[in-house]
Amino acid sequence: MISRPRLITAAVAVALLAACAPEAPGTGSGGSTSGNQVSDATLTIATTTDVVNYNPLVGNSRSDYWITNLMYPHLLSIGPDGNKQPELATKWGYDNPTSGYYEIKSGLKWSDGKPLTAKDVAFTLNATKRDKPAGTLTGQLTNMASATAVSDTRVEVKLSAPDSTVIPEVGFWGNIVPQHVFEPAGSVAKFANDGSNGGWVSAGPYVLSDVQRGQSYTMTRVDNYPLVEGGKPKAAKIVYRVFPDVNTEILSLKNGDVDVIANSLPPAQVKGLQGTDGIKVAEVPGLGYAHMTYNMTKPDLAKKEVRQALAQAVDYDAIRKVVLQDQGVSTGSSPIMPVLKDFYDDSIKEYSYDPAGSKKLLQQAGYTADGNGNFPLTFRMIYSLQDPVTTQWATLVKDGAAKAGITIELQGLERNTYLAKTNAGDFDIYAGNFAIMDDPATNMALTYLPKGAINYSYVDDSALNDLITRARVTFDRDKQRPILQKAAKMVRDNVYDNIMYTQNLYVAYRSDWSGFSVKPSELLSIVNPISVASATKSK
Amino acid sequence: MSLLSFVLKRIGRGLLTIWFAVTVTFLMLRLLPGDPAIAIASTNMTPAIRAELLRTYGLDQPLPVQYVKYLGQLLQGNLGISFSQNIPVTDSLMEMLPWTLLLVGASLVVTVLLGIPLGVAAAARAGGVLDRLVQVVAVTGQSLFVPSVGILLLYVFGLQLGWFPIGGAYTDGTYGGAWYVSVISHLVLPSLSLVLVQLGSYVLTVRSTLIEALGEDYVTLAHANGLPGRRVLWKHALRNALLPTTTLIGLQICLYLVGGVILIETVYAYPGIGRGIYDAVIRLDFPLLQGAFLLLAAVVVVVNMITDVVYGLLDPRVKVGS
Repeated sequence: MISRPRLITAAVAVALLAACAPEAPGTGSGGSTSGNQVSDATLTIATTTDVVNYNPLVGNSRSDYWITNLMYPHLLSIGPDGNKQPELATKWGYDNPTSGYYEIKSGLKWSDGKPLTAKDVAFTLNATKRDKPAGTLTGQLTNMASATAVSDTRVEVKLSAPDSTVIPEVGFWGNIVPQHVFEPAGSVAKFANDGSNGGWVSAGPYVLSDVQRGQSYTMTRVDNYPLVEGGKPKAAKIVYRVFPDVNTEILSLKNGDVDVIANSLPPAQVKGLQGTDGIKVAEVPGLGYAHMTYNMTKPDLAKKEVRQALAQAVDYDAIRKVVLQDQGVSTGSSPIMPVLKDFYDDSIKEYSYDPAGSKKLLQQAGYTADGNGNFPLTFRMIYSLQDPVTTQWATLVKDGAAKAGITIELQGLERNTYLAKTNAGDFDIYAGNFAIMDDPATNMALTYLPKGAINYSYVDDSALNDLITRARVTFDRDKQRPILQKAAKMVRDNVYDNIMYTQNLYVAYRSDWSGFSVKPSELLSIVNPISVASATKSK
Repeated sequence: MSLLSFVLKRIGRGLLTIWFAVTVTFLMLRLLPGDPAIAIASTNMTPAIRAELLRTYGLDQPLPVQYVKYLGQLLQGNLGISFSQNIPVTDSLMEMLPWTLLLVGASLVVTVLLGIPLGVAAAARAGGVLDRLVQVVAVTGQSLFVPSVGILLLYVFGLQLGWFPIGGAYTDGTYGGAWYVSVISHLVLPSLSLVLVQLGSYVLTVRSTLIEALGEDYVTLAHANGLPGRRVLWKHALRNALLPTTTLIGLQICLYLVGGVILIETVYAYPGIGRGIYDAVIRLDFPLLQGAFLLLAAVVVVVNMITDVVYGLLDPRVKVGS
C-alpha cells in the first residue's frame, strides 16, 4: 500500500511537471501541400543558429540575415563577378559628388497590400542614421546626410562629403523595411520586430509565419514576388531548422529531414558529402579573406623587414592544401581578391615561403641570431578558438616562423576575449577573417586608414592614406581601379596586412532540388532570395 | 519547530541564497572580457556608435547605479530586456525552460526507475556474475562522453534504422495528439543519452549503500524474525539505502539544470535553456544571462527544499527542522 505522504509527493511532482510541460501549438492549417508536390513543396533549410533579431537593421547573425533577407529586400545584390547587381533598385549612381540616387521598381507591394515606395527607402536610411542600430548598415551611413523620396520610385541621397562608396555599399548592405510598421514602433534600434503585433510584413518571396524558437522558423510564400521568374516563388514554404551541431545537421540532410545546409561545410566534411548518393555540393565563391595583421605600434613590428620576414615564413600552399583541403584561393597577398574581377590585379604575387630569406631580412635589419639560430623576436598571436580553421593554421604559422628563428606564442582565445583584445590592440599578431570585403575602397578605408574601425595593424602611411582617400572620391571606376590596385600593392609590399587566402565555401543540398543560383559569400550563397524563390523539387 | 516555521526559515534562507547568486552573477558578467556592444555590433562600427550602444544598454553608468537599478527592476518582477533580441527576458526564458524541464525530468524518472532495481539486484547478489556485469556497465556508462553517445545514437537509431527523428523537440506541422506523440519520439534519444550517462552513478550508489544496509543488525533481526527475504530487501534495507540516492537526485537536477544539458541540447538540436545560455554567453547578453541564472538559482533552492522534505519522509530519524 502506498502511504499518503508518498501519494501527495507524487501528485505534486506530476502537477509540477504538467505545469512546466511544453504547450502544444494551436490547431493550424496543418501545413499540408496540395496534390502537386512539385509546385507546393516545402524547402527545409538547416542552420546552426537561432534567429537573434528579426529587425534586419539590428540583426548580425547569419540566421538573422538569411531569414530577414527573404522579407526585406536590398536595393542591390552582387553578381558572381563581384559587381553590384540590381535587386529592388533598377538604377543607382551619383548626380554629383555629394548627391546620389536610387531608382526602384514600380508597383511593388508589401505582403499586407501596402505599396513599397521610395518613401520606405528614405525612411529606412534616415531612421538608421538617426537611431544607430547595431547592424552593418549603420556603419555605411557615416557620410550620408539625408535621404529624400522625390517620387514613388526615386530616392535622392545627400552626402556630407564626396564619397563614391556610399550608394553601392548602402544599396548592398541595407534591407529596406516597411515604414508603416517600423515608424510607429519608435526607435528602429530598439524595435524587436518579433511579430508580436500581428505578425510580419514582407516584400520578399516569403513571410515569416511561425516561430518555434530553438527548433524552426516557417515562412510562407508571398504570391506576388516580381523579382523571380514567373512572379511567384516555387516552393510553398520555407522552413529553417536549427541544428547547433553540424554533425547532426549532416545526418539530417542524409536522412532527408532537411533539403539544404545553409552554413558552409567544414573542409573535412566536403569530400565525404560529394560522394554521397542523393546529395549535391555547391561551391560558393568566398567574398572575404583570412589574414594576419602585425601590430605596428610594437617597435619590432613597426619595421618593414620584420613584417616581411614574418610574411615569408608562412607556407601558404601548405595551409591551403592541408588545413583547407585545397578549398582556399590565393589573393596574391593582396586585399583585393580574385572574385572582385574588376579590381583584381594578378600581377601582385603572393609572398614566397622562404625562411632562409626571412633570416637574411632580419640580419639586414640589425638582428643577430643566437647559437640556435633564434633571433630575439617573440610575438604573441591571438586567434579565436571558435574558428577551427584559423586554430589549425596558427600552428603552421608558428612552425614556419620558428624555422626563420622567430618565436610565436599562440594565444587561442574565447570569442569575446578575442574581440576585446582585438579592439584594444592587445596583441602582436592578429589572426582572423573578414567575411565580406565586397568593395575595395570601403574596405581599405576601414582597414588601413588611421581611424578605420578595423585597422588592426594601426598603419598610418600618408601615401596609402592619400590613395585610399582619392579612391573614395573617384566616381569613375576606370579611374578608381588603378588607384586601388596601387594601394593594394603598397599593402602587400609593406606587409601592412598579410592576406592568406580567400576560402571558397561549400554548401550541400539534396539532389531532388534544383534551380538554385549561387552568389558569392556565405550570406548569399544558394539561400539568397532569388535562389530560394527559384528552387524546385523534382517528382 | 513546526513545519510552517521550518518552511518559512528555509524560504528566508533561499531568498538570501538567490540574492547572493543574483549579485555574484551581476558582478561576474561585468568582469568578463569585452562588452556587449563589441559582441553584438557589426565590426564596421565606429567607436562613437559603440559608445552609443553601451549608453542604450545602460552600461555607461557606474556599477553601483547599474546594480541598484537592476535590483529595483527585479523587485518589480521585471527581468529586463534582452540586449540582443530586444524582447523581455521572461518571454525568452519561458520559451526554453519547459523543454529542459521535460528532458531532465523524463531522463531522471527513467534513470531512477532503472537504477534502483539494478542497484538492488546487484547488491542482493553481491560478488555474483550479475553484480560484476552491472558494475562494469555502470562504470562504463559514467565514462561515456555525452556528444559521442548522442551522435552514435542518432546515427544508429535515426539515420540507419529510422526509428527516431534526428534533432528537434517535435515534428513541425503536427497538432493535438500527433504533436504529443512527436514530442515523445523526439524525447527518446536525448533522454536515453542522459540515462546512459547518469545511470551508473545511481546503480553504484544504491548498490553500495544497500550492501552496507544489508549488513546492519536490524536486517539480521528481520531475517531472524522470519520475514520474507524480498520484504527485508525492498521494504527495510532499501528504504535506508535510498537516502544518499535522494541527495543524488537533488544534486543531479541542479547540475543538469545549471547547464549540464547544454551538450545534449546542442547535439540533439533540443530547444532548451542550456543552448539559450550558451548563445547568451557568446553575445554577452547580460539581462538574459542574469535572468537565466536567477531562474536556475531559484530552481536549485526549491529542489533542495524538496530534497530536505523528502529526506524527512524517508527517514523517520530525520525530523523536519531538527
